[in-house]
Amino acid sequence: MPPPISGTDRSAGGVLPEIDLPDRLRRALVLVEQLRADGIHFAPIRHHSPACSVALRAQLTDLAPAVILIEGPEEYTHLLPQLIDPGTVPPVAVLSHHREPGGRTTTGFYPLAEFSPEWVALRSGAAGGAEVAFIDLPWASASRRVDQDAESRSIQQERHLAHSTTLQALARLEHCRDHDELWDHLFELRTPAELRNWRRVFGDVFVWSALARSDYELPVLRGEGSIARESLMAARIAEHRQRSDGPVVVVTGAFHTLALIEALAGSDLGAVVREAAPQGGHPPAPVDAGSSWLIRYDFRRLDALGGYSAGMPSPGWYHRVWAGLSGTADPADPADPTVEMLVDIAHHTSRAGTSEVLGVADVSAAAAHAWRLAELRGHPAPGRTDVLDAVTSCFVKDDAGPSPALREALEAGFTGLGQGSVPAGTPAPPIIADTRRRAEDLRLNLTDSDTRHTSLDLRRNPRHRRRSRFLTAMSFLGTGFARRTAGPDLVGGTGLGLLYEEWDYAWTPMTEAELLDLAEEGSTVDEIALSRLRGLELAVDTTAARRSANHAVQVLIQAAVMGLSEHSAGLAELVRTHLQEDPSLASVISAGRRLVGLRQARDQLDLGEAAWIDDLLTRVEPVVAYLLSTLGEGSVEDDEETVDALLAVRRLDGDLAVLLRPGQERPTGSPITRELLRLRASPNAAIAGALTGLAVVDGSGTEEDLGAGLSAQLRTGADVERAVRYLTGFMKATPDLLLHSPELLSVVHRALITLPAEQFLGYLPELRRAFTWLKPRETARLAEQVTALGGIDARSDDLNVRHHELTAADLERGRRLELSLRESLAEDGLADWTGT
Amino acid sequence: MVSTDEIRRPAEDRFAAELTSLADADGRAGNDRPPGWLLSPRAVRAFVLGDAELGVSRKFYGDDPLVDRAIVSLLGRQGLMLVGEPGTAKSMLSELLAAAVSGDTGLTIQGTAGTTEDHIRYSWNYALLLAEGPSDRSLVPSPLHQALVGGKIVRFEEITRCAPEIQDNLVSILSDKQLMIPEFGPNARVPARPGFNIIATANLRDRGVNEMSAALKRRFNFETVRPITDHAFEVELVSGQLTEELGERGEEVEVPREVIRLLVTAFQELRSGVTAGGTPVKSPETVMSTAEAVNVAFAAALEARYLGNGVVSAAEIARQISGVALKDNPEDARRLRFYVDNIVRERARTDPLWKDFFRAAADLWH
Ligand SMILES: Nc1ncnc2c1ncn2[C@@H]1O[C@H](COP(=O)(O)OP(=O)(O)O)[C@@H](O)[C@H]1O
Ligand SMILES: [Mg+2]
Repeated sequence: MPPPISGTDRSAGGVLPEIDLPDRLRRALVLVEQLRADGIHFAPIRHHSPACSVALRAQLTDLAPAVILIEGPEEYTHLLPQLIDPGTVPPVAVLSHHREPGGRTTTGFYPLAEFSPEWVALRSGAAGGAEVAFIDLPWASASRRVDQDAESRSIQQERHLAHSTTLQALARLEHCRDHDELWDHLFELRTPAELRNWRRVFGDVFVWSALARSDYELPVLRGEGSIARESLMAARIAEHRQRSDGPVVVVTGAFHTLALIEALAGSDLGAVVREAAPQGGHPPAPVDAGSSWLIRYDFRRLDALGGYSAGMPSPGWYHRVWAGLSGTADPADPADPTVEMLVDIAHHTSRAGTSEVLGVADVSAAAAHAWRLAELRGHPAPGRTDVLDAVTSCFVKDDAGPSPALREALEAGFTGLGQGSVPAGTPAPPIIADTRRRAEDLRLNLTDSDTRHTSLDLRRNPRHRRRSRFLTAMSFLGTGFARRTAGPDLVGGTGLGLLYEEWDYAWTPMTEAELLDLAEEGSTVDEIALSRLRGLELAVDTTAARRSANHAVQVLIQAAVMGLSEHSAGLAELVRTHLQEDPSLASVISAGRRLVGLRQARDQLDLGEAAWIDDLLTRVEPVVAYLLSTLGEGSVEDDEETVDALLAVRRLDGDLAVLLRPGQERPTGSPITRELLRLRASPNAAIAGALTGLAVVDGSGTEEDLGAGLSAQLRTGADVERAVRYLTGFMKATPDLLLHSPELLSVVHRALITLPAEQFLGYLPELRRAFTWLKPRETARLAEQVTALGGIDARSDDLNVRHHELTAADLERGRRLELSLRESLAEDGLADWTGT
Repeated sequence: MVSTDEIRRPAEDRFAAELTSLADADGRAGNDRPPGWLLSPRAVRAFVLGDAELGVSRKFYGDDPLVDRAIVSLLGRQGLMLVGEPGTAKSMLSELLAAAVSGDTGLTIQGTAGTTEDHIRYSWNYALLLAEGPSDRSLVPSPLHQALVGGKIVRFEEITRCAPEIQDNLVSILSDKQLMIPEFGPNARVPARPGFNIIATANLRDRGVNEMSAALKRRFNFETVRPITDHAFEVELVSGQLTEELGERGEEVEVPREVIRLLVTAFQELRSGVTAGGTPVKSPETVMSTAEAVNVAFAAALEARYLGNGVVSAAEIARQISGVALKDNPEDARRLRFYVDNIVRERARTDPLWKDFFRAAADLWH
């Protein structure tokens, strides 16, 4: 690699600006020569760079190496047969799993596009008969994964380049907006002939990334594992050099090249890397075949990884560029990626069905714009940002920025829609293989991606039950595989009595894609579901403000319906603590109801005895009883809710009695029953009214008691608000009692007609509401009885007055008017006139 | 603006030396000049973005690709429309481009509610018109007319302030690249010489006042100019402009760099509604533009020079922000107080510069 020749035309692309090379770099360029004499050649690359791929191909042709060494976990070498299989079409990726000591699985992706230098190395190496090997630290090695959080999961990290202050300064100098544009400007936008000048290209790439490297301090490089990796790579290169006679080509991210050169050439500066080797040398490469898999990939994912600074962005663009560079394009029709891209974007936008239509004139204006920009910037042809800029200038026809349709078109064009494939029979990663196997064991039909229906008899058919659990898990994980269209929802607490479930399901490429996404969290559906549950559990547990027994129960039931009952049992503890601390009666009641539902579904879920459910149910009782005592502190507005809670508690009490004390007819002994009894004397009239009515229904009180209570509450001179609340509570809880008991009805009737008119009017809205709890038929019957009590013939014309045009307010004004008229007539001794 | 008219000579005069040096460099390198242009596109870019080797200063900061796009738009058939908040250097950019491309920034139409068709097309010297009839002598050409004839850039400032029917006079001129003069005969027209194009500016805050017609929009490439977000850029810019504004007075007053940095920090935070640390701030209605920051710095410098000790401190900055920038908008004063109370107070604990700012700002309300 000769020293890079610096350009003279500072505005032109493809030329490194004149820089004073740091001392270290100048010395490294001498070491490069020394290693070359020894038959070690470097291909410092950027991941997914077509420019580097062209250069690499030329280099491999020129050197005809005996050995090609690639940066990538060593265990990938065993995947070579699959990688070079003609049936493997990029984009593909190698997926790596590692089970951490804590049980968590960390995942990495190593994507390969057609235009990735690594792909070129693999394919050309195979074609030329070279020995190919991966030489980086195994994925299982701790230094590999130091900074792997859930997001940054590319095995081809390049964030050093993105964050290098030197490269950022260089970008400014060259009028580039970021380091990606700078890279294009300096490297991608060389002519094909210039790119085939691999010595020059790699010389420049080397300088470019060595500049970035000098921005990083040793402790940083050590901490993130770079030094450890370089130590192994250097050792492997040396081993291969020993073993083989022919040239050795080393394909690595350019960021590592400087370190590898210094280590291998015996320079002082290389001591850091050389000495990072473990005592007794590096162990032999693992022949591990159980932790990495070749999977098909797509541009969308490739681009998303690019967002984490792993390789170049916009694969959809470089894919088009590569078609021209690699000679795969039709020679009769040498496609111009600029025009192709602009046409696609225009079509996509115009098809969106908005008024935005981009025609031929727009496309040619934009193409001209892109070419002029390229000229201005010294590019031999438009590059990615030239085309993006042309779209900005020519396709955006307003000050409002790109429309949603145009944005989507840009995304489709620059990200690309391409998908790769792997040969049939390629071992699938556990998540997909395992899921397929499980589905097939359950006799679900996965032969094609059509939507199929299955109807599950949960009570009688054990396989149906297992199916249900699997489908539930798949839908819980959002794989898009299965959708329940009917049946009980134990988690949501609806349809609890239902015995059949209806499901639609379809195994599509999307299902596999979603599963691959999930692969990060585990290697089976159950494992991933468990990890999700743990997340939910944590969310319930750590947010003290939202301590909710109901939420905790939902997590527990979610586990149970997916067949993870062992975990459910573990979650029981979570529910126990939340039961103790939950301040909300409503939440505890819901929790109780869901637990009852779970207990009732015990056999459908194959939970066995599940003593832990009964244990929880027993604990619900006192908590409900305790929280009941706080009931009734509310005002009139809360009455309805309060009575609803009472009804729910009563129902729960009944259910619990049946489950916990079978054979006992009435739930007399329960703490809840006792508390309800006490509440009959509650100062809250609505509660008293409701519970007195309910007592009649369940036989613990008599109609006489109720009648006495009602007339006491409603007698003339009583507190009218209390009276009305008592009545509404009673009506809400037991609306039909009034219909069946003439005595009660006449008590209420008398009480109401003797209410002073002003007060009657004041409470009319509440009273009216109290009677809406009756069903329409009951209302009609009640009306008949009332008219009979009042001596009116229900069929007479007296009641047939209809004033559709009048509002309630009109009526009230009318009534008031009549009242005052009557009063004044009475005052004047003319009461006779009113006809009463 | 605080600057006086003498300082604001047209760009082609102020930067005459730079333009000459760029033209010479073009000649030496044998660069192609587009028809009607005085400089090559690359030299135009160097004029706006700077070229240290040729002694050309950087004049526009923060968005180099936008400058590229603007230059290329001027090469094509479409006009160039610069839109953005006030004070984002739209007018400046249009002036610089006109100076570099045509060497003439004088062909300018100022958009106002009172702009008439005559301002856009042409009008008549009525005495001559009566005496001689329609003739080249009696016709009074508009700047647009002159630009067509001369193959130059015409600038249309604040185009959305004109009534829509006035704006629409441009549609046929821009699409046919010619101006019809029916008074000279049925087919009389002034064709555009190569080099003709238009740069219009429009203020985003005026949007909706006089929305442009779709037909007119289609004649333009839109470029949205955004406020500078890079702190270092804006500091450099404000310092540079302040020096220019102060002229000779600059020697009598010292403006420490860190005070300018503080000023820019305050402006950027108030403008964006969030501090660098992510704390929300209430953005004033007043435009917190770079130009306004220069105004504040200038006023603070005068205050320090004539009423203070000749060194600008954060106290002058604080007073001038509420005085110059926020004028007497009571709502904005409340927003500024919120900023001072919640952000500045905290910083004042550890940073003496912010402490000066805080004290002065707090004084304003007691
Ligand atoms: N990005 C920038 N680069 C250089 N100067 C700027 C920038 N933004 C604002 N300015 C300064 O602010 C002034 C804004 O003035 P002007 O061009 O009238 O703005 P506009 O026309 O957008 O309202 C410029 O003259 C310049 O001094
Ligand atoms: Mg302006």
